[in-house]
Amino acid sequence: MKRNGTKFVTTDRPDGQELREKGGPLAGARGYGAWIVSMGVAVVFLSPLLWMLAASLREEASIFQGGWLGADGWTLQNYADAWRRAALGRALLNSALQVLVIGGGGLLVNAMAAYAFARLEFRGREWLFAAVVMLIVLPVEVLAVPMFFTVRDLGLTGGYGAAMAGLTVPFLAKAFNIYFLRQHFLTVPAALEEAAVMDGAGPWRLFWNVALPSIKPALATVVVLDLLTHWGDFLWPLMIATREETRTVQLSLANLFTQPPVQWGDILACAVLATLPVMLFFRWFQRYVVATDARAGIK
Amino acid sequence: MTVWQRARGRSAPWFLLPALALLAVFVVWPLLRAGWWSFTNADLLSPERSQGVGLANYADLAGDGRFRRAFGNTWLFALLVVPLQTVGAFFLALWVNRPEPAWRWLRAVFFVPVVVAMPVLAVLWTLLYQPAQGGEMGPVNAALAVFGVPPQAWLRDPTLALPAIAFMSIWQGVGLQMMVFLAGLQGVSKELLDAARIDGAGAWQRVWNVVIPAMRNTIIFVVTVTTILAFRIFVQPYLMTRGGPGNSTLSLIQSVYEMTFISQDLGRACAAAMAFLLLVGGLTWLQRRLLKEERE
Repeated sequence: MKRNGTKFVTTDRPDGQELREKGGPLAGARGYGAWIVSMGVAVVFLSPLLWMLAASLREEASIFQGGWLGADGWTLQNYADAWRRAALGRALLNSALQVLVIGGGGLLVNAMAAYAFARLEFRGREWLFAAVVMLIVLPVEVLAVPMFFTVRDLGLTGGYGAAMAGLTVPFLAKAFNIYFLRQHFLTVPAALEEAAVMDGAGPWRLFWNVALPSIKPALATVVVLDLLTHWGDFLWPLMIATREETRTVQLSLANLFTQPPVQWGDILACAVLATLPVMLFFRWFQRYVVATDARAGIK
Repeated sequence: MTVWQRARGRSAPWFLLPALALLAVFVVWPLLRAGWWSFTNADLLSPERSQGVGLANYADLAGDGRFRRAFGNTWLFALLVVPLQTVGAFFLALWVNRPEPAWRWLRAVFFVPVVVAMPVLAVLWTLLYQPAQGGEMGPVNAALAVFGVPPQAWLRDPTLALPAIAFMSIWQGVGLQMMVFLAGLQGVSKELLDAARIDGAGAWQRVWNVVIPAMRNTIIFVVTVTTILAFRIFVQPYLMTRGGPGNSTLSLIQSVYEMTFISQDLGRACAAAMAFLLLVGGLTWLQRRLLKEERE
């Protein structure tokens, strides 16, 4: 869509389109009007986040005061204080570790199961898959309490290693991801695999060298969704990561937010630092995701 | 299914084992245990030494004022968020449905809050909603003052707190539903739209008579998913108001969490979780039914 976007439009909406195309996509009074309205709406819509960024650079006493236009009252001190008070170095590392283990490990585990459901013939396949699909609707928040006991019984709470395992292992396998990846494996032409079979490839090589590379956009979608979801995890870490050294970024932020002395500047700086990594990641990873995948859940 | 595929079936257990074992241990087993505990007097510290109490936990829930308040709050939240967010996302999708590359930034704008973690946004909006205090006030009050609206104590006012949280939640989630609608819009027949235009249908008539009927499945999908997401609300009130003032923003999830870790009544907490699951399961079933009717 990126490359032939304009062409796509011309064939679909012939009226007025040619005129707009001649002077670029936005030529014509209607284009400028829509542009101005959109800019205004966009600024208002993003103003809470813009305020967060600007206020995080303000001295504590001047955050809620007007008169921001002057050169006075700007500072980076909030970031230094937040970094120290919330132990953000450790917290960011914990969160990064958490989402990388879930994103990477989960991808492998779920893709393997999805491949078996899509491509391997075995008895009971249909009902087993139906059982997995039924698990999709279970909201993690509701299961959190009974899950907590299972995780505790397995010894995955307490020390650093145990708590990090407790944060990640329960979320590796995801019914939705298995379902989603299976739909995509089904679209890989069987001829591709047959050619590899002729070359003597076994099931694992077919999976790893043929099937997986064919569904890269779907894999990227799953990774992005997992990372966004778990970077923002709150309830589960609240129950599992109870020690200071196991805190994730969101817990550190909540801690800064509730423990006196309440310093708005520090809180805002911490919020910005908790947001930047996902923003940068999303910006960079977005191109691998197919936009139409949003529809996969509809049908 | 070809011969070679059947022959490879013998490796299937190895492909399935990791995921199915994890799902069994961390999803199915906790679910079964929760179901079992909901009929016992299990407590937090020693759930194994519990005795069956029949339906007592469920009966207690029905008479538990705090739980009923949480249940009512969650419904109210869903009733505020679902219609506004769905309608908002629909019109945003119509507005940003401009395939030219020069317009791609507009879609991204509405998607930004979806990418930001919910705890960050909850903390941020607490600051934005700051009431007037000693000559200072939060940006929301400051912005409204321009239009002559007197400052409100948004999160500290029992009647305003839940709507304020709902507003912030709509702002956060509207971009996601917009993307789903945008994908659905691509499936609306261009021939039909052009035919309607030639017949002299105005923009409103085209949306009402062509676009909406064609997007029936997408709309059902968005409404049910938004409803389920709204029922799962927890982080915003937990961080912004702790469920207050006066339990006016207490969520179902928070009440289950407190039953477990504060009153340590695991049996009742599991009964509440089961009731919640039934609700979500019922909604999903309804969605499937509505979608199936369309396909037939």
